[in-house]
Amino acid sequence: MASELLKGFRMLDLADEKGAMCGKIFADLGADVIKVEPVGGCSTRRIPPFLEDIPGEDRSLYFLAYHAGKRSVTANLESTDGRALVAELARHADFLVESFPLGYLDSIGLGYDELSRANQRLIYASITPFGDKGPAKNYKAADIVTWASGGMMYLMGEEGRPPLQMSLPQAGMHAGAEAAVASLIAHYPRQTSGLGQKIVVDMQACIVWTLMNEQAMPIFHGDFLRRSGVFVGSADARRKMVFRCADGHISILIMGGAVGAPSTIALVKWMDEKGFASDWMKTKDWMSWVPGLLMAMTQKDREEIDELEDRVEKFFLTMTKHEIYREALKRRILLAPVATVADIAADEQLEARKFFVKVDHHDTLGRSLTFPGPFARFTETPIAPPARAPRLGEHNREVYCGLLGLDLERLSRLSAEGAI
Amino acid sequence: MAYALEGIKVLDFAWVGVGPITTKYLADNGAEVIRVESAAKLDVLRLGPPWKDGQPGINRSQFYASYNTSKKGITLNLGKPKARELVRRLVPWADIVVESFTPKAMRGWELDYEHLREIKPDLIMLSTCLQGQTGPNALYPGFGQLMAALSGFYHISGYEDGSVCPPYGAYTDFIAPRFSAAALLAALDYRRRTGKGQYIDMAQYEAALSNLAPALIDYFATGRVLGPKGNASERYAPHGAYRCEDEEGNEQWIALAVANDAEWRAMLEVLGAKAPDDRFATHLGRLENRQALDAFVSRSVRGWRVMDLVAKLQAAGVASYRVQNCVDLHQDENLQAFDFWHWLEHKEMGPSPYEGLQHRLSRTPGELRSAAPILGQHNEEVLGGMLGLSAAEIEQLQKENVVF
Repeated sequence: MASELLKGFRMLDLADEKGAMCGKIFADLGADVIKVEPVGGCSTRRIPPFLEDIPGEDRSLYFLAYHAGKRSVTANLESTDGRALVAELARHADFLVESFPLGYLDSIGLGYDELSRANQRLIYASITPFGDKGPAKNYKAADIVTWASGGMMYLMGEEGRPPLQMSLPQAGMHAGAEAAVASLIAHYPRQTSGLGQKIVVDMQACIVWTLMNEQAMPIFHGDFLRRSGVFVGSADARRKMVFRCADGHISILIMGGAVGAPSTIALVKWMDEKGFASDWMKTKDWMSWVPGLLMAMTQKDREEIDELEDRVEKFFLTMTKHEIYREALKRRILLAPVATVADIAADEQLEARKFFVKVDHHDTLGRSLTFPGPFARFTETPIAPPARAPRLGEHNREVYCGLLGLDLERLSRLSAEGAI
Repeated sequence: MAYALEGIKVLDFAWVGVGPITTKYLADNGAEVIRVESAAKLDVLRLGPPWKDGQPGINRSQFYASYNTSKKGITLNLGKPKARELVRRLVPWADIVVESFTPKAMRGWELDYEHLREIKPDLIMLSTCLQGQTGPNALYPGFGQLMAALSGFYHISGYEDGSVCPPYGAYTDFIAPRFSAAALLAALDYRRRTGKGQYIDMAQYEAALSNLAPALIDYFATGRVLGPKGNASERYAPHGAYRCEDEEGNEQWIALAVANDAEWRAMLEVLGAKAPDDRFATHLGRLENRQALDAFVSRSVRGWRVMDLVAKLQAAGVASYRVQNCVDLHQDENLQAFDFWHWLEHKEMGPSPYEGLQHRLSRTPGELRSAAPILGQHNEEVLGGMLGLSAAEIEQLQKENVVF
């Protein structure tokens, strides 16, 4: 049974990959999310890769993942009847999320001003790549473009090679989740005022927010960071974050001080047991060792760090990432394997928490699929595994007849005329 | 104008990234958030850069400040029984309690949900830690950088030769809070309808895996392991970052993505370039000859000033923008037009730069209502004003390292 958290609330999902996560979160929380697709299907149905690399409108892994738990109706927004249906749906909705080019929905009578006249409770979230006011407000953006405009791309990659994306699109994930939070913030006062509102989510800003402590660096410290591969920190004080091991990589930031010393002492002890620690490492006062990431290091700090990083890598190369991780957990050393999806799928912690869930797709794909489980555990209103993502227009009849009260004859006429 | 979440009260024991960012959503939208900290175990972000004027100090970190706007700050040393007693007196006031210690801490202090609900039966409590409250690795220590590696994001960041090039910082710390904030707001609505509070266990690991879902589903179904693939795309070609003319000694790169033939032709026209051979004649051909295509685009954009090229490409319908460094971001006219950057007056740091909200509400907009508190800034207001302790009592508790 679906979560009771948002039971009884309905969202119209007109978002593409810039906002699919918004409706996904609402569906997880138990809302009725109706995905409104063009007659040819939402563009997200065509995002590769496809299940078993066989293209098909029900086989995009992206679509399967982020539209699970939603219903699907079709509506041709280029037709008068199609637009009228969406406007009517919006009268029966509590939330709407969309990611069309700025002003498009206004131009066809489905903007906030229009829809809120008929339903003043409506909360209407627009996801925009560059906001709604600046000189780039009408610019197009693919995920990699937002990764660039928001500044994360600048920090990923190696000197002398191009800045990098991640191998899975991320900007739309952040923006969609942000739209979900903003919609729920707007929901709270609506319960007393009865009034909805318009929300604008700025995707570029969503990525800037992921830059952690970098934003004020140029202001307070006079310079900005540059991409430096597996290292972090300014050029003369950089520290290695990722080390090779026998079958992959390990991430560890070797620190001193109250936060890092216990872990570093445990690491040195372990290395010493295997003959990898230098003498100075065993007697070093790690509690007072805090070579700055920002201030230039002393020559001695630099030499020690180079030797330490070199020895740590040689040490890690004698073990697999799993062996290192298991032992580090016991010894409370602050490190993590650079995990692949295969490592994650086999992870004992996720297994113990029964995180992964089976989602039945037999009627569409002849099999079930395994999905990541709930993003949080609620004692009163647990998030249930989702229903599979809908087929295109699967719920046309249920929604248009059941919810809007159209008769079957009208439905088939709308279909014949290309409105749905 | 009223804020959206006015009247909601939050007692916030969280520290570092995810918890404080979660409660920041509430605070910036009008909820009253009291952060409980202690010098006995400082929030490590207070020790982290950037620092005002480059000088470290527990009240000088913008790293801490960015995630704690609009909140009040008090100091209670929870290792002391008297401090925990004061917490119990504050709990009836709260609608929401948030904490982000390793799981045993709150239990050890008898401040876990089972104890707090006895004081406040309809309490909503969120615990967020790296790997969740249960399971063999529940006590895993560490930071978001490590979590970003553990939850797969490092492995999918790199060039096709397999070199790892992680995202900057604690990437998953910026995924999880959107989920935990949504969870709290939904739980509030559920409580409004039913009168029931509840406990929420959010593992940052599990929340972050939402952003990896297609690759996980693929692996379980077919055994395929997604690896680093540089800037390759299965949908767009060209797709990547290409170096333009340096400006003021800094590299300039343009990121662009071409989705179809029309956009490709538009791009060639803007660049005044001709495709060197017919491998690039179709979208499929461009997808299949990516390396040669990248070399061609790289040659063609060299010498362009990046924002000139962006303006022309966008006018022609090609998705593109500059790969922006942090100085670019502060000068970005779109972020400025969205009112993203703010200078707030901090008690010790003076005027300091803050990121604003990433969304805007038309009727009840949130805002950064105040700069982050210095350590214990609101002790008198909260312990005196709300709990009715006298100045002498507070002073005594300070001497005993309870208010500390």
